[in-house]
Amino acid sequence: MSAIRVENLTKRFGETVALDDVSFEVPEGEFAIVLGVSGSGKSTLLRCINGLTHPTDGQVFVQGDPVTSHRDDVAMVFQQHNIIGGMSAYSNALTGALGRTDLLRSVLRLNKRSDKVRALEALDTVGLLGEAEQRAGRMSGGQQQRVGIARALVQEPDILLADEPVASLDPGSSQTVMRYLRGAAEERGLTAMISLHQVNLARQFGERFIGLADGEVVFDGYSDELTFDVIDRLYGGIDMEEFLAGENGHSEVTG
Amino acid sequence: MSSSPIEQRLAEIRLTRRVRWVLYALGVVLFGALLYRSLIAVEFSASDLYQQWPIFVDALRNYVPDWWFIVERNLFRESGITLAIGFAGTVFGIPLALLLGVLGSGRVTPFPFNFIFRGIMGVSRAIPALVWFLIFLPLAGLSPLSATIAVAVSTIGNLGRLFTDELEEVSDGPIEAMQTTGASKSQTVIFGMLSQVKTSFVAWTLYIFEVNVRVAVTLGLLGGGGIGEIIQVQQGLRNFPNMMAGIVVVLVLIIAVEMVSQRIRSYLREDKEAGGLIQLLVGFPQRMAESALK
Repeated sequence: MSAIRVENLTKRFGETVALDDVSFEVPEGEFAIVLGVSGSGKSTLLRCINGLTHPTDGQVFVQGDPVTSHRDDVAMVFQQHNIIGGMSAYSNALTGALGRTDLLRSVLRLNKRSDKVRALEALDTVGLLGEAEQRAGRMSGGQQQRVGIARALVQEPDILLADEPVASLDPGSSQTVMRYLRGAAEERGLTAMISLHQVNLARQFGERFIGLADGEVVFDGYSDELTFDVIDRLYGGIDMEEFLAGENGHSEVTG
Repeated sequence: MSSSPIEQRLAEIRLTRRVRWVLYALGVVLFGALLYRSLIAVEFSASDLYQQWPIFVDALRNYVPDWWFIVERNLFRESGITLAIGFAGTVFGIPLALLLGVLGSGRVTPFPFNFIFRGIMGVSRAIPALVWFLIFLPLAGLSPLSATIAVAVSTIGNLGRLFTDELEEVSDGPIEAMQTTGASKSQTVIFGMLSQVKTSFVAWTLYIFEVNVRVAVTLGLLGGGGIGEIIQVQQGLRNFPNMMAGIVVVLVLIIAVEMVSQRIRSYLREDKEAGGLIQLLVGFPQRMAESALK
């Protein structure tokens, strides 16, 4: 059984077609990357998978069940972190456990010991154990995003979605965040689906690739099939030379 | 004819400008007319004020505070009662202000129903604290308690309204994030929304507390106790030096409350580090130890 199955998914916002008859399957434990330029439908696809957006047509199945609303076993990492700046990294991570904590306990911060340990473990996974008591709002962009990942891990999901998790980060932090995402998914055996617009990062970390252009799947395959022809089709019309120069620039920063 | 589109655009701009000037002129005329009618309604008369002026200046000579009265009647104790009315009234008002303020937000309660809560707050606001005081007289008499209840009831509307407005400003991101964790509706509201506005809620509450202390002074003038009542009684006795002593104490009280409140508010706003002060105190021995070990 595949962890995620998308069948003829179509989403229209008024006149605009965000997703046009999208179908694919992601088997359990795969680290899949959704590629495409801004506005190609990546966010809408991920939001349909975790039930934040309802499709116009078609269906999404998670672990074999049709998705109707957001569910506990699908966690999401957002582009803008969406962590709560006024709370510590630890408290933010703990909000991942809200789904299994009753109201009074969560408000009085009387979380179960197992969840507290889980929150610290998740912060350890993203390399922030030492910063657990720091206010999230005072952390750097990359650290905030890692807190977002920790929160998603505390949720103990089977599926980890990330919508452009590194779009607002510098190349160095992008590398770090992607490394922690990949590491966490491998360590916990999660099925991951990450949307990215940076091809170099995608090639570096991805296993499986789904390419979107104008809401349609134009590529679906594995690393060895992701040729420059495919990239050209995805990012049609860009200057390849400049593009490759940019890629070298990135590896200089991080290498 | 290459400049014709430009000429055309210029003409258009000139026309819209002209229309705007006509509208401004109409606005000024309307404003002037309203002011004129208002002055008639308040029986404004410059000549009366001119004739009365020497008498007023004469009266001012009596307005020299009798400093001894402050000690004699222990006016600072009286101003303590006024402060207590403002403080207890604010505290009593907070729970309902918070509840109604949150429920009044369109993002918590769906559209037509949130107006039930906004309506309740509206009534609480529409009736001034002075009138609430009169309404509660049969319950607690001419006493500081009636004044406290009046302050509490008007706090519900005033503070609740500020809470509701503040909640309109919260960003959707953390709310969605809480939804995806599988949080319940109330958990989403508390963690996704209220956590974003925590510091501004504290700041608004302090602001309303400032306002309430001033209201408590005026409630005293109606017999609600405290420093206001002293001023009212001394005025009735035509003992102006004593009345002025009371007013000086009011000045001290209000300025002190505002200074403390504004200090805390600016601290909250600029720093936004809630545990900052506690960290500073608690973390002190640790930092000492750390620096000693270096």
